[in-house]
Amino acid sequence: MSAEAPLMHTASEPAVSHREAGMPTPLVGMLLFIASEVMFFGGLFASYFNARAVHIGVWAPPPPAQELEILPIALPITIILVASSFTMQFGVWAIRRGDQRAMRNWTLLTLLLGLTFLLGQIFDYTTLGFGIRDGAFGTVFYTLTGFHGAHVFGGAVGLTILAARASQGQFSQQNHVAVEAISFYWHFVDVVWIALFSTLYFLR
Amino acid sequence: MSDITFGYLLLAIGIGSVLGAVYAITSHVSVSAARPRPPRGVHLPNPSALPVIIAVGGALLGAGLAFRADNQLANPLLAVPGLLIFVAAVVAWVRAAGREWDETEGGSHDDVPGH
Repeated sequence: MSAEAPLMHTASEPAVSHREAGMPTPLVGMLLFIASEVMFFGGLFASYFNARAVHIGVWAPPPPAQELEILPIALPITIILVASSFTMQFGVWAIRRGDQRAMRNWTLLTLLLGLTFLLGQIFDYTTLGFGIRDGAFGTVFYTLTGFHGAHVFGGAVGLTILAARASQGQFSQQNHVAVEAISFYWHFVDVVWIALFSTLYFLR
Repeated sequence: MSDITFGYLLLAIGIGSVLGAVYAITSHVSVSAARPRPPRGVHLPNPSALPVIIAVGGALLGAGLAFRADNQLANPLLAVPGLLIFVAAVVAWVRAAGREWDETEGGSHDDVPGH
């Protein structure tokens, strides 16, 4: 009888809360969302390789634009975005220790790096010399990088919400599932860019 | 300054404005740092046509961006209704989710002791 006692609960006080029973629902939702995003970007990559396959020998930016170069913009903004994943994770570790101030500061730094990436990408667009309507290459290039940029912007919105909530003292060592969920998303966006960067700039 | 550069400058300003608005709005929402306790029982969202309506709005918006004249950013006959439907349905869905959460916390359904 005594062994069963912990399983008994009253109407007002469940013995085992839903959160303690498994992964928090918001994290499950974020993982499912990321799974759908993987399929979305899978489709975009498929369109890239399909277009590339039917333009063998002529797959390049339309003249007079030059070949895509990793310098002076693409490589630095890639390093910036990869660095932002580290700062995001430092923020997660900080709130796991209960250090909300450090978490907010790491989040703000992550947001700054993300915005720097976005502005760098926008500046890169102005220097490329071709547009989205300039052939299959232009269309695929801007579609891939544009959708990724939109996802970075979505992550920036999430980071802004985290920073605002952290400033209000709404996170704690026990309650920070939103930080974990946004960090999942941010790491995903980072990984997608690494795949994009490798495909667009190194796969000749 | 070329038109393209000016367009990208506007985009950058837009990004900053949206993030500023998000920060300002979120700063006024009060949420406790205490660990939330979900209500007892199994709770599922109500059936809703809003996801389909959002998809229709998104499809119209995409069609408006695709089927346009050379000198247009988008076809207004398709893109404007699409954008309005999309935004209105997103707002309605968020509000519906809020109402459902309030009802769930209030225990108005599926709150059987020992469930």
